[in-house]
Amino acid sequence: MKIRTLAWSTFGSFFHNALIVVLLIVCVGVVLLMLTPLLGMKAMTTAQNASQVQVAVLGFVAAIMGFVSGFGSLLAAWAAADSLSSEMTSGTILAVMARPVKRWEFLLGKFLGVMLLMAAYVAMMFGLSWLLAWIGGERIRTAQWVLLAYPMVRYAIWAAVAMALATLLRPIIAMGIVALLALGATITASTNLDEHSVVVRYLLHGIYLVLPSTNLLSETRFLEITKASLKPTGWMEHGCTVAYGLDYAIVFLLVAMWSFHYRSLKRD
Amino acid sequence: MASPSAIEFRGVEKVYRSRLRRKEIAALNGVSFEVGRGEVCAFLGPNGAGKTTSISLLMGFLHADSGEIRVLDYEPGDVRAKAQIGFLPENFAFYKYLNAEKLLRFHHRLAGGRPDEAANRIGDLLHQVKLTGYETLKIGKYSRGMVQRLGIAQALLNNPQLLVLDEPTSGLDPAGRKEVRDLMFSLKAAGKTIFLSSHLLSEVEQICDKVMIIDRGRLLKSGRMEELLAAGDRAEIFANELPAEMEPELVGLGATIERSEHGVRIEIGTAHKRMVAEKLWAAGYDVVSLQPVRASLEELYMKVVGEKEAASKVIAPGVLGLS
Repeated sequence: MKIRTLAWSTFGSFFHNALIVVLLIVCVGVVLLMLTPLLGMKAMTTAQNASQVQVAVLGFVAAIMGFVSGFGSLLAAWAAADSLSSEMTSGTILAVMARPVKRWEFLLGKFLGVMLLMAAYVAMMFGLSWLLAWIGGERIRTAQWVLLAYPMVRYAIWAAVAMALATLLRPIIAMGIVALLALGATITASTNLDEHSVVVRYLLHGIYLVLPSTNLLSETRFLEITKASLKPTGWMEHGCTVAYGLDYAIVFLLVAMWSFHYRSLKRD
Repeated sequence: MASPSAIEFRGVEKVYRSRLRRKEIAALNGVSFEVGRGEVCAFLGPNGAGKTTSISLLMGFLHADSGEIRVLDYEPGDVRAKAQIGFLPENFAFYKYLNAEKLLRFHHRLAGGRPDEAANRIGDLLHQVKLTGYETLKIGKYSRGMVQRLGIAQALLNNPQLLVLDEPTSGLDPAGRKEVRDLMFSLKAAGKTIFLSSHLLSEVEQICDKVMIIDRGRLLKSGRMEELLAAGDRAEIFANELPAEMEPELVGLGATIERSEHGVRIEIGTAHKRMVAEKLWAAGYDVVSLQPVRASLEELYMKVVGEKEAASKVIAPGVLGLS
Protein backbone atom coordinates (compact mmCIF):
# COMPACT_ATOMS: atom_id res chain seq x y z
CA MET A 1 0.00 0.00 0.00
CA LYS A 2 2.74 2.47 1.03
CA ILE A 3 5.02 1.44 -1.83
CA ARG A 4 2.13 1.74 -4.28
CA THR A 5 1.26 5.19 -2.90
CA LEU A 6 4.86 6.32 -3.28
CA ALA A 7 5.09 4.86 -6.80
CA TRP A 8 1.96 6.64 -8.05
CA SER A 9 3.00 9.87 -6.34
CA THR A 10 6.42 9.68 -8.04
CA PHE A 11 4.80 8.93 -11.39
CA GLY A 12 2.48 11.92 -10.99
CA SER A 13 5.37 14.18 -10.00
CA PHE A 14 7.09 13.65 -13.37
CA PHE A 15 4.29 15.48 -15.14
CA HIS A 16 5.02 18.51 -12.93
CA ASN A 17 8.77 18.27 -13.48
CA ALA A 18 9.64 20.99 -15.98
CA LEU A 19 12.83 19.33 -17.22
CA ILE A 20 11.21 15.96 -17.86
CA VAL A 21 8.26 17.57 -19.62
CA VAL A 22 10.68 19.59 -21.79
CA LEU A 23 12.72 16.45 -22.55
CA LEU A 24 9.55 14.60 -23.62
CA ILE A 25 8.45 17.53 -25.79
CA VAL A 26 11.91 17.65 -27.40
CA CYS A 27 11.75 13.89 -28.04
CA VAL A 28 8.34 14.16 -29.71
CA GLY A 29 9.60 17.17 -31.71
CA VAL A 30 12.68 15.31 -32.95
CA VAL A 31 10.59 12.27 -33.94
CA LEU A 32 8.17 14.52 -35.85
CA LEU A 33 11.10 16.23 -37.59
CA MET A 34 12.60 12.85 -38.53
CA LEU A 35 9.24 11.71 -39.86
CA THR A 36 9.10 14.61 -42.33
CA PRO A 37 11.85 13.37 -44.71
CA LEU A 38 10.65 9.80 -44.20
CA LEU A 39 7.12 10.62 -45.31
CA GLY A 40 8.48 12.83 -48.09
CA MET A 41 10.52 9.93 -49.43
CA LYS A 42 7.52 7.62 -49.26
CA ALA A 43 5.51 10.18 -51.19
CA MET A 44 8.15 10.29 -53.94
CA THR A 45 8.18 6.51 -54.43
CA THR A 46 7.67 5.45 -58.02
CA ALA A 47 7.87 2.07 -59.70
CA GLN A 48 11.41 2.87 -60.84
CA ASN A 49 12.92 3.94 -57.48
CA ALA A 50 10.84 1.73 -55.20
CA SER A 51 13.66 -0.53 -54.04
CA GLN A 52 16.11 2.37 -53.42
CA VAL A 53 13.51 4.36 -51.51
CA GLN A 54 12.64 1.29 -49.48
CA VAL A 55 16.27 0.98 -48.33
CA ALA A 56 16.40 4.69 -47.38
CA VAL A 57 13.05 4.49 -45.60
CA LEU A 58 14.19 1.49 -43.57
CA GLY A 59 17.35 3.39 -42.67
CA PHE A 60 15.28 6.30 -41.40
CA VAL A 61 13.00 3.99 -39.49
CA ALA A 62 16.03 2.36 -37.83
CA ALA A 63 17.44 5.81 -36.95
CA ILE A 64 14.15 6.96 -35.40
CA MET A 65 13.77 3.78 -33.37
CA GLY A 66 17.40 3.98 -32.26
CA PHE A 67 16.89 7.59 -31.16
CA VAL A 68 13.66 6.89 -29.30
CA SER A 69 15.14 3.82 -27.65
CA GLY A 70 18.34 5.63 -26.58
CA PHE A 71 16.36 8.62 -25.37
CA GLY A 72 14.36 6.26 -23.18
CA SER A 73 17.57 5.17 -21.44
CA LEU A 74 18.46 8.80 -20.78
CA LEU A 75 14.95 9.51 -19.53
CA ALA A 76 14.98 6.48 -17.20
CA ALA A 77 18.33 7.46 -15.70
CA TRP A 78 17.42 11.13 -15.26
CA ALA A 79 13.96 10.41 -13.86
CA ALA A 80 15.45 8.00 -11.31
CA ALA A 81 18.24 10.34 -10.21
CA ASP A 82 15.95 13.37 -10.10
CA SER A 83 13.09 11.65 -8.31
CA LEU A 84 15.39 11.04 -5.37
CA SER A 85 17.47 14.19 -5.38
CA SER A 86 14.52 16.56 -5.86
CA GLU A 87 13.02 15.21 -2.62
CA MET A 88 16.28 15.97 -0.84
CA THR A 89 16.71 19.41 -2.38
CA SER A 90 13.17 20.56 -1.65
CA GLY A 91 13.09 18.94 1.78
CA THR A 92 9.84 17.08 1.06
CA ILE A 93 11.60 13.85 2.01
CA LEU A 94 11.52 14.87 5.69
CA ALA A 95 7.73 14.86 5.84
CA VAL A 96 7.51 11.60 3.91
CA MET A 97 10.15 9.78 5.94
CA ALA A 98 8.54 10.92 9.19
CA ARG A 99 5.72 8.54 8.25
CA PRO A 100 5.97 4.85 9.12
CA VAL A 101 7.83 4.14 5.90
CA LYS A 102 11.06 2.16 5.81
CA ARG A 103 13.89 3.58 3.77
CA TRP A 104 13.92 0.65 1.35
CA GLU A 105 10.17 1.04 0.87
CA PHE A 106 10.66 4.68 -0.03
CA LEU A 107 13.38 3.86 -2.55
CA LEU A 108 11.43 0.97 -4.06
CA GLY A 109 8.37 3.21 -4.38
CA LYS A 110 10.49 5.81 -6.21
CA PHE A 111 11.95 3.14 -8.48
CA LEU A 112 8.52 1.74 -9.33
CA GLY A 113 7.30 5.27 -10.04
CA VAL A 114 10.11 5.62 -12.58
CA MET A 115 9.16 2.26 -14.07
CA LEU A 116 5.54 3.45 -14.42
CA LEU A 117 6.82 6.42 -16.40
CA MET A 118 8.95 4.12 -18.53
CA ALA A 119 6.01 1.76 -19.04
CA ALA A 120 4.07 4.69 -20.51
CA TYR A 121 7.09 5.54 -22.66
CA VAL A 122 7.50 1.93 -23.84
CA ALA A 123 3.80 1.80 -24.73
CA MET A 124 4.31 4.93 -26.83
CA MET A 125 7.44 3.39 -28.39
CA PHE A 126 5.52 0.21 -29.15
CA GLY A 127 2.90 2.20 -31.04
CA LEU A 128 5.63 4.09 -32.87
CA SER A 129 7.26 0.79 -33.91
CA TRP A 130 4.00 -0.33 -35.51
CA LEU A 131 3.49 3.04 -37.16
CA LEU A 132 7.01 3.11 -38.59
CA ALA A 133 6.78 -0.51 -39.73
CA TRP A 134 3.59 0.39 -41.56
CA ILE A 135 5.19 3.50 -43.11
CA GLY A 136 8.23 1.40 -44.07
CA GLY A 137 5.97 -1.09 -45.78
CA GLU A 138 7.02 -3.86 -43.44
CA ARG A 139 5.39 -5.73 -40.64
CA ILE A 140 6.78 -6.65 -37.26
CA ARG A 141 7.46 -10.36 -37.16
CA THR A 142 8.72 -10.76 -33.61
CA ALA A 143 6.64 -11.61 -30.54
CA GLN A 144 4.92 -8.53 -29.13
CA TRP A 145 6.11 -9.11 -25.58
CA VAL A 146 9.73 -8.71 -26.70
CA LEU A 147 9.01 -5.14 -27.79
CA LEU A 148 7.57 -4.44 -24.34
CA ALA A 149 9.74 -6.51 -22.00
CA TYR A 150 13.18 -5.85 -23.43
CA PRO A 151 13.06 -2.06 -23.23
CA MET A 152 11.47 -2.22 -19.79
CA VAL A 153 14.33 -4.36 -18.48
CA ARG A 154 16.85 -2.12 -20.20
CA TYR A 155 15.33 0.98 -18.61
CA ALA A 156 15.17 -0.78 -15.25
CA ILE A 157 18.95 -1.20 -15.46
CA TRP A 158 19.59 2.48 -16.20
CA ALA A 159 17.11 3.61 -13.56
CA ALA A 160 18.69 1.37 -10.91
CA VAL A 161 22.25 2.47 -11.80
CA ALA A 162 21.26 6.16 -11.72
CA MET A 163 19.33 5.74 -8.47
CA ALA A 164 22.28 4.02 -6.79
CA LEU A 165 24.55 6.87 -7.86
CA ALA A 166 21.99 9.50 -6.81
CA THR A 167 22.00 8.17 -3.25
CA LEU A 168 25.60 9.37 -3.04
CA LEU A 169 25.98 12.14 -5.58
CA ARG A 170 24.15 15.09 -7.03
CA PRO A 171 21.96 14.11 -10.00
CA ILE A 172 24.04 15.96 -12.57
CA ILE A 173 27.19 14.13 -11.42
CA ALA A 174 25.26 10.85 -11.29
CA MET A 175 24.11 11.47 -14.87
CA GLY A 176 27.70 12.22 -15.92
CA ILE A 177 28.82 8.86 -14.53
CA VAL A 178 25.84 7.13 -16.19
CA ALA A 179 26.87 8.70 -19.51
CA LEU A 180 30.45 7.48 -19.02
CA LEU A 181 29.20 3.98 -18.21
CA ALA A 182 27.01 4.00 -21.31
CA LEU A 183 29.90 5.20 -23.44
CA GLY A 184 32.21 2.56 -21.97
CA ALA A 185 29.64 -0.16 -22.59
CA THR A 186 29.12 0.98 -26.19
CA ILE A 187 32.84 1.10 -26.92
CA THR A 188 33.45 -2.28 -25.28
CA ALA A 189 30.53 -3.86 -27.11
CA SER A 190 31.68 -2.53 -30.50
CA THR A 191 35.33 -3.54 -30.03
CA ASN A 192 36.44 -6.43 -32.20
CA LEU A 193 37.92 -8.84 -29.68
CA ASP A 194 39.72 -10.88 -32.31
CA GLU A 195 42.12 -8.00 -32.92
CA HIS A 196 43.45 -8.13 -29.36
CA SER A 197 45.67 -10.42 -27.30
CA VAL A 198 44.15 -13.00 -24.97
CA VAL A 199 44.73 -10.84 -21.88
CA VAL A 200 43.09 -7.79 -23.42
CA ARG A 201 40.28 -9.98 -24.69
CA TYR A 202 39.56 -11.29 -21.17
CA LEU A 203 39.83 -7.80 -19.79
CA LEU A 204 37.39 -6.37 -22.33
CA HIS A 205 35.04 -9.28 -21.81
CA GLY A 206 35.12 -8.62 -18.07
CA ILE A 207 34.43 -4.92 -18.58
CA TYR A 208 31.60 -5.80 -20.94
CA LEU A 209 29.96 -7.94 -18.27
CA VAL A 210 30.48 -5.43 -15.48
CA LEU A 211 29.24 -2.38 -17.38
CA PRO A 212 25.53 -2.04 -18.08
CA SER A 213 25.84 -3.48 -21.59
CA THR A 214 22.23 -3.19 -22.65
CA ASN A 215 22.81 -3.93 -26.32
CA LEU A 216 21.90 -7.54 -25.48
CA LEU A 217 18.51 -6.21 -24.44
CA SER A 218 17.96 -4.17 -27.56
CA GLU A 219 14.58 -5.08 -28.98
CA THR A 220 15.83 -3.79 -32.34
CA ARG A 221 17.61 -7.15 -32.61
CA PHE A 222 14.20 -8.60 -33.35
CA LEU A 223 12.82 -5.85 -35.51
CA GLU A 224 12.90 -6.88 -39.10
CA ILE A 225 12.48 -3.26 -40.15
CA THR A 226 15.94 -2.45 -38.80
CA LYS A 227 17.44 -5.35 -40.70
CA ALA A 228 18.56 -6.82 -37.41
CA SER A 229 19.09 -10.50 -36.86
CA LEU A 230 16.40 -12.65 -38.29
CA LYS A 231 17.60 -15.79 -36.61
CA PRO A 232 14.91 -17.45 -34.53
CA THR A 233 15.34 -16.87 -30.80
CA GLY A 234 14.43 -19.62 -28.39
CA TRP A 235 12.78 -19.20 -24.99
CA MET A 236 16.02 -20.13 -23.26
CA GLU A 237 17.87 -17.27 -24.96
CA HIS A 238 15.07 -14.83 -24.18
CA GLY A 239 14.95 -16.06 -20.60
CA CYS A 240 18.70 -15.72 -20.08
CA THR A 241 18.77 -12.24 -21.63
CA VAL A 242 15.89 -10.94 -19.54
CA ALA A 243 17.26 -12.63 -16.40
CA TYR A 244 20.67 -11.05 -17.03
CA GLY A 245 19.06 -7.61 -17.27
CA LEU A 246 16.81 -8.07 -14.26
CA ASP A 247 19.68 -9.42 -12.20
CA TYR A 248 21.80 -6.42 -13.10
CA ALA A 249 18.96 -4.03 -12.20
CA ILE A 250 18.22 -5.81 -8.90
CA VAL A 251 21.89 -5.73 -7.87
CA PHE A 252 22.04 -1.97 -8.41
CA LEU A 253 18.68 -1.44 -6.73
CA LEU A 254 19.96 -3.33 -3.68
CA VAL A 255 23.13 -1.22 -3.73
CA ALA A 256 20.93 1.88 -3.85
CA MET A 257 18.85 0.62 -0.90
CA TRP A 258 21.94 -0.17 1.13
CA SER A 259 23.50 3.21 0.40
CA PHE A 260 20.23 5.06 1.09
CA HIS A 261 19.78 3.22 4.38
CA TYR A 262 22.94 4.79 5.79
CA ARG A 263 22.78 8.25 4.27
CA SER A 264 21.72 11.32 6.20
CA LEU A 265 18.30 12.68 5.31
CA LYS A 266 18.38 16.45 5.31
CA ARG A 267 17.58 19.29 3.03
CA ASP A 268 20.50 19.57 0.59
CA MET B 1 5.89 -2.45 30.07
CA ALA B 2 6.16 0.92 28.36
CA SER B 3 8.91 3.22 29.58
CA PRO B 4 7.68 6.42 31.29
CA SER B 5 9.88 8.36 28.89
CA ALA B 6 8.70 9.29 25.42
CA ILE B 7 12.20 10.42 24.38
CA GLU B 8 15.54 9.41 25.86
CA PHE B 9 18.96 10.70 24.82
CA ARG B 10 21.95 9.20 26.61
CA GLY B 11 25.41 10.58 25.87
CA VAL B 12 24.54 11.30 22.25
CA GLU B 13 27.32 12.60 20.05
CA LYS B 14 27.13 13.67 16.46
CA VAL B 15 29.96 15.01 14.36
CA TYR B 16 29.50 16.32 10.81
CA ARG B 17 32.44 15.40 8.66
CA SER B 18 33.47 17.06 5.46
CA ARG B 19 35.80 14.60 3.80
CA LEU B 20 36.81 16.98 1.04
CA ARG B 21 37.88 19.73 3.43
CA ARG B 22 39.02 17.26 6.10
CA LYS B 23 36.98 19.19 8.64
CA GLU B 24 34.82 18.03 11.52
CA ILE B 25 32.09 19.97 13.27
CA ALA B 26 30.83 18.65 16.59
CA ALA B 27 27.07 19.19 16.42
CA LEU B 28 26.17 17.29 19.63
CA ASN B 29 28.55 16.56 22.44
CA GLY B 30 27.37 13.99 24.98
CA VAL B 31 23.77 15.20 25.12
CA SER B 32 21.53 13.40 27.62
CA PHE B 33 17.93 14.15 28.49
CA GLU B 34 14.53 12.58 28.93
CA VAL B 35 11.06 13.74 28.02
CA GLY B 36 8.30 12.01 29.95
CA ARG B 37 5.07 10.83 28.39
CA GLY B 38 2.45 13.57 28.46
CA GLU B 39 5.03 16.32 29.00
CA VAL B 40 5.30 19.43 26.89
CA CYS B 41 8.98 20.10 26.53
CA ALA B 42 10.68 23.13 25.00
CA PHE B 43 14.01 22.67 23.30
CA LEU B 44 15.73 26.03 23.15
CA GLY B 45 18.99 27.38 21.86
CA PRO B 46 20.47 29.85 19.43
CA ASN B 47 20.81 29.07 15.72
CA GLY B 48 23.37 26.34 15.16
CA ALA B 49 23.06 25.08 18.75
CA GLY B 50 22.16 21.51 17.71
CA LYS B 51 18.36 21.61 17.98
CA THR B 52 17.61 20.50 14.43
CA THR B 53 20.37 17.88 14.63
CA SER B 54 18.78 16.47 17.79
CA ILE B 55 15.35 16.41 16.16
CA SER B 56 16.79 14.76 13.04
CA LEU B 57 18.43 12.11 15.22
CA LEU B 58 15.25 11.33 17.12
CA MET B 59 13.31 11.10 13.85
CA GLY B 60 15.92 8.70 12.45
CA PHE B 61 16.99 11.06 9.65
CA LEU B 62 20.56 11.10 10.95
CA HIS B 63 22.58 8.44 12.73
CA ALA B 64 24.34 9.26 16.01
CA ASP B 65 28.08 8.61 16.24
CA SER B 66 27.72 7.39 19.80
CA GLY B 67 25.21 7.27 22.62
CA GLU B 68 21.74 5.86 22.81
CA ILE B 69 18.40 7.26 21.67
CA ARG B 70 14.98 5.77 22.36
CA VAL B 71 11.73 7.17 21.04
CA LEU B 72 8.52 5.70 22.45
CA ASP B 73 10.58 2.62 23.45
CA TYR B 74 11.94 2.08 19.94
CA GLU B 75 15.06 2.94 18.02
CA PRO B 76 14.81 6.21 16.08
CA GLY B 77 13.40 5.60 12.61
CA ASP B 78 11.55 2.45 13.67
CA VAL B 79 8.22 2.42 11.84
CA ARG B 80 6.42 1.40 15.06
CA ALA B 81 7.62 4.63 16.67
CA LYS B 82 6.99 6.73 13.58
CA ALA B 83 3.40 5.46 13.45
CA GLN B 84 2.84 7.31 16.74
CA ILE B 85 4.73 10.50 15.89
CA GLY B 86 3.49 13.68 14.27
CA PHE B 87 6.33 15.74 12.86
CA LEU B 88 6.54 19.31 11.66
CA PRO B 89 9.99 20.20 10.33
CA GLU B 90 11.30 23.74 10.22
CA ASN B 91 10.37 25.40 6.90
CA PHE B 92 8.13 22.55 5.94
CA ALA B 93 8.26 21.68 2.24
CA PHE B 94 5.37 20.15 0.30
CA TYR B 95 4.70 18.92 -3.20
CA LYS B 96 3.63 22.29 -4.52
CA TYR B 97 1.60 20.87 -7.40
CA LEU B 98 -0.78 19.11 -4.99
CA ASN B 99 -3.64 20.73 -3.13
CA ALA B 100 -4.17 20.40 0.62
CA GLU B 101 -6.73 17.62 0.31
CA LYS B 102 -4.53 15.50 -1.99
CA LEU B 103 -1.42 16.06 0.11
CA LEU B 104 -3.18 15.02 3.31
CA ARG B 105 -4.68 12.01 1.55
CA PHE B 106 -1.17 11.01 0.42
CA HIS B 107 0.15 11.32 3.97
CA HIS B 108 -2.90 9.52 5.34
CA ARG B 109 -2.15 6.54 3.09
CA LEU B 110 1.54 6.55 4.09
CA ALA B 111 0.50 6.67 7.73
CA GLY B 112 -1.49 3.50 7.14
CA GLY B 113 -4.86 5.18 7.66
CA ARG B 114 -8.05 3.51 6.50
CA PRO B 115 -9.24 4.98 3.18
CA ASP B 116 -12.85 5.22 4.38
CA GLU B 117 -11.75 7.43 7.28
CA ALA B 118 -9.61 9.77 5.20
CA ALA B 119 -12.28 12.22 4.03
CA ASN B 120 -13.66 12.89 7.52
CA ARG B 121 -10.26 13.12 9.17
CA ILE B 122 -8.89 15.47 6.50
CA GLY B 123 -12.01 17.65 6.60
CA ASP B 124 -11.78 17.93 10.39
CA LEU B 125 -8.09 18.83 10.34
CA LEU B 126 -8.47 21.44 7.62
CA HIS B 127 -11.28 22.96 9.64
CA GLN B 128 -9.12 22.86 12.77
CA VAL B 129 -6.26 24.76 11.09
CA LYS B 130 -8.71 27.12 9.34
CA LEU B 131 -7.95 26.00 5.79
CA THR B 132 -11.51 25.05 4.93
CA GLY B 133 -12.31 26.58 1.56
CA TYR B 134 -8.73 26.26 0.34
CA GLU B 135 -8.76 22.46 -0.13
CA THR B 136 -8.52 22.65 -3.91
CA LEU B 137 -6.01 25.50 -4.15
CA LYS B 138 -2.53 24.29 -5.13
CA ILE B 139 -0.09 24.50 -2.23
CA GLY B 140 2.33 26.47 -4.39
CA LYS B 141 -0.14 29.36 -4.17
CA TYR B 142 -0.42 29.25 -0.38
CA SER B 143 1.03 31.98 1.83
CA ARG B 144 3.80 31.08 4.30
CA GLY B 145 1.28 31.02 7.14
CA MET B 146 -1.12 28.75 5.24
CA VAL B 147 1.70 26.32 4.50
CA GLN B 148 2.57 26.27 8.18
CA ARG B 149 -1.05 25.55 9.09
CA LEU B 150 -1.10 22.73 6.58
CA GLY B 151 2.10 21.41 8.12
CA ILE B 152 0.43 21.34 11.51
CA ALA B 153 -2.57 19.53 10.01
CA GLN B 154 -0.35 16.83 8.50
CA ALA B 155 1.48 16.45 11.81
CA LEU B 156 -1.85 15.73 13.52
CA LEU B 157 -3.10 13.42 10.77
CA ASN B 158 -2.34 10.12 12.49
CA ASN B 159 -3.58 11.24 15.92
CA PRO B 160 -0.01 10.98 17.26
CA GLN B 161 1.07 10.27 20.82
CA LEU B 162 4.23 12.33 20.35
CA LEU B 163 4.41 15.60 18.45
CA VAL B 164 7.79 16.86 17.34
CA LEU B 165 7.39 20.46 16.27
CA ASP B 166 10.27 22.53 14.92
CA GLU B 167 9.25 26.20 14.99
CA PRO B 168 5.49 25.57 14.70
CA THR B 169 4.52 29.25 14.79
CA SER B 170 7.10 30.35 12.24
CA GLY B 171 5.48 32.50 9.55
CA LEU B 172 2.19 32.88 11.40
CA ASP B 173 0.58 36.20 12.26
CA PRO B 174 -0.29 36.95 15.91
CA ALA B 175 -3.79 35.48 15.53
CA GLY B 176 -2.33 32.35 13.90
CA ARG B 177 0.20 32.02 16.69
CA LYS B 178 -2.54 32.21 19.27
CA GLU B 179 -4.52 29.52 17.44
CA VAL B 180 -1.48 27.23 17.42
CA ARG B 181 -0.91 27.96 21.08
CA ASP B 182 -4.53 27.09 21.88
CA LEU B 183 -4.18 23.94 19.81
CA MET B 184 -1.13 22.93 21.81
CA PHE B 185 -2.99 23.55 25.05
CA SER B 186 -5.76 21.24 23.86
CA LEU B 187 -3.21 18.59 22.82
CA LYS B 188 -1.53 18.92 26.20
CA ALA B 189 -4.89 18.47 27.90
CA ALA B 190 -5.43 15.35 25.78
CA GLY B 191 -2.24 13.88 27.25
CA LYS B 192 -0.05 14.16 24.15
CA THR B 193 3.69 14.51 24.50
CA ILE B 194 5.01 17.58 22.70
CA PHE B 195 8.66 18.22 21.92
CA LEU B 196 8.85 21.78 20.78
CA SER B 197 11.67 23.82 19.33
CA SER B 198 10.97 27.53 19.20
CA HIS B 199 12.55 30.95 19.48
CA LEU B 200 9.35 32.50 20.83
CA LEU B 201 10.19 32.27 24.51
CA SER B 202 7.06 33.97 25.83
CA GLU B 203 4.89 31.33 24.12
CA VAL B 204 7.10 28.50 25.28
CA GLU B 205 6.86 29.79 28.83
CA GLN B 206 3.08 29.66 28.67
CA ILE B 207 2.79 26.18 27.19
CA CYS B 208 5.69 24.04 28.33
CA ASP B 209 6.17 21.99 31.51
CA LYS B 210 9.82 21.39 30.90
CA VAL B 211 12.63 23.30 29.26
CA MET B 212 16.02 22.37 27.90
CA ILE B 213 18.59 24.87 26.69
CA ILE B 214 21.28 23.72 24.32
CA ASP B 215 24.18 25.61 22.81
CA ARG B 216 27.14 24.50 20.71
CA GLY B 217 26.10 20.88 21.01
CA ARG B 218 25.97 20.82 24.81
CA LEU B 219 22.91 20.74 27.03
CA LEU B 220 23.34 23.74 29.31
CA LYS B 221 20.19 23.63 31.39
CA SER B 222 17.33 21.20 31.78
CA GLY B 223 14.46 20.95 34.23
CA ARG B 224 10.85 21.70 35.09
CA MET B 225 9.86 25.17 33.95
CA GLU B 226 8.57 26.26 37.37
CA GLU B 227 11.73 25.10 39.15
CA LEU B 228 14.11 26.71 36.69
CA LEU B 229 12.30 30.02 36.69
CA ALA B 230 12.02 30.07 40.46
CA ALA B 231 15.61 29.07 41.05
CA GLY B 232 16.95 32.60 40.74
CA ASP B 233 19.29 34.20 43.27
CA ARG B 234 16.85 37.01 44.15
CA ALA B 235 13.98 37.10 46.60
CA GLU B 236 11.20 39.61 47.07
CA ILE B 237 9.90 40.76 50.42
CA PHE B 238 6.62 42.59 50.83
CA ALA B 239 6.38 44.64 54.05
CA ASN B 240 3.81 47.16 55.25
CA GLU B 241 6.54 49.76 55.86
CA LEU B 242 10.30 50.26 55.71
CA PRO B 243 12.06 52.56 58.19
CA ALA B 244 14.08 55.27 56.41
CA GLU B 245 17.27 54.39 58.36
CA MET B 246 17.27 50.84 56.93
CA GLU B 247 17.08 51.95 53.33
CA PRO B 248 20.78 52.93 52.77
CA GLU B 249 21.88 49.63 54.30
CA LEU B 250 19.60 47.63 51.98
CA VAL B 251 20.70 49.59 48.93
CA GLY B 252 24.26 48.84 49.99
CA LEU B 253 23.38 45.13 49.87
CA GLY B 254 22.13 45.48 46.28
CA ALA B 255 18.42 45.68 47.08
CA THR B 256 15.89 47.47 44.93
CA ILE B 257 13.06 49.13 46.81
CA GLU B 258 9.66 50.06 45.43
CA ARG B 259 7.14 51.90 47.56
CA SER B 260 3.43 51.94 46.85
CA GLU B 261 0.22 52.73 48.71
CA HIS B 262 -0.05 49.04 49.67
CA GLY B 263 3.41 48.80 51.19
CA VAL B 264 7.02 48.25 50.20
CA ARG B 265 8.51 45.69 47.82
CA ILE B 266 12.14 44.86 48.49
CA GLU B 267 14.03 42.71 46.00
CA ILE B 268 17.29 41.43 47.38
CA GLY B 269 19.81 38.63 46.99
CA THR B 270 18.68 35.36 48.57
CA ALA B 271 21.71 35.43 50.88
CA HIS B 272 20.32 38.49 52.68
CA LYS B 273 16.60 37.74 52.65
CA ARG B 274 16.48 36.19 56.14
CA MET B 275 18.48 38.97 57.73
CA VAL B 276 16.27 41.68 56.19
CA ALA B 277 13.06 39.90 57.19
CA GLU B 278 14.27 39.43 60.76
CA LYS B 279 15.28 43.09 61.05
CA LEU B 280 11.87 44.18 59.83
CA TRP B 281 10.12 41.91 62.33
CA ALA B 282 12.41 43.06 65.12
CA ALA B 283 11.62 46.71 64.28
CA GLY B 284 7.93 45.94 64.57
CA TYR B 285 6.94 45.93 60.90
CA ASP B 286 4.88 43.28 59.16
CA VAL B 287 6.52 41.05 56.54
CA VAL B 288 3.52 40.26 54.37
CA SER B 289 5.31 37.80 52.09
CA LEU B 290 8.73 36.47 51.22
CA GLN B 291 9.21 34.52 48.00
CA PRO B 292 11.79 33.86 45.33
CA VAL B 293 11.72 36.21 42.38
CA ARG B 294 10.34 34.31 39.37
CA ALA B 295 12.52 35.09 36.38
CA SER B 296 11.06 35.08 32.88
CA LEU B 297 12.17 32.38 30.50
CA GLU B 298 13.81 35.02 28.37
CA GLU B 299 15.90 36.16 31.35
CA LEU B 300 16.86 32.58 32.15
CA TYR B 301 17.71 31.89 28.51
CA MET B 302 19.82 35.01 28.13
CA LYS B 303 21.60 34.23 31.36
CA VAL B 304 22.38 30.61 30.45
CA VAL B 305 23.35 31.27 26.84
CA GLY B 306 25.10 34.51 27.74
CA GLU B 307 27.26 32.83 30.40
CA LYS B 308 28.23 30.14 27.94
CA GLU B 309 28.98 32.77 25.32
CA ALA B 310 31.25 34.65 27.70
CA ALA B 311 32.97 31.44 28.86
CA SER B 312 33.52 30.24 25.29
CA LYS B 313 35.30 33.47 24.39
CA VAL B 314 37.89 32.65 27.02
CA ILE B 315 38.09 28.86 26.77
CA ALA B 316 37.53 27.60 23.26
CA PRO B 317 36.40 28.58 19.79
CA GLY B 318 32.76 27.89 19.00
CA VAL B 319 33.35 25.46 16.18
CA LEU B 320 35.61 22.51 16.63
CA GLY B 321 37.74 22.47 13.52
CA LEU B 322 39.97 19.44 13.28
CA SER B 323 42.30 19.07 10.38
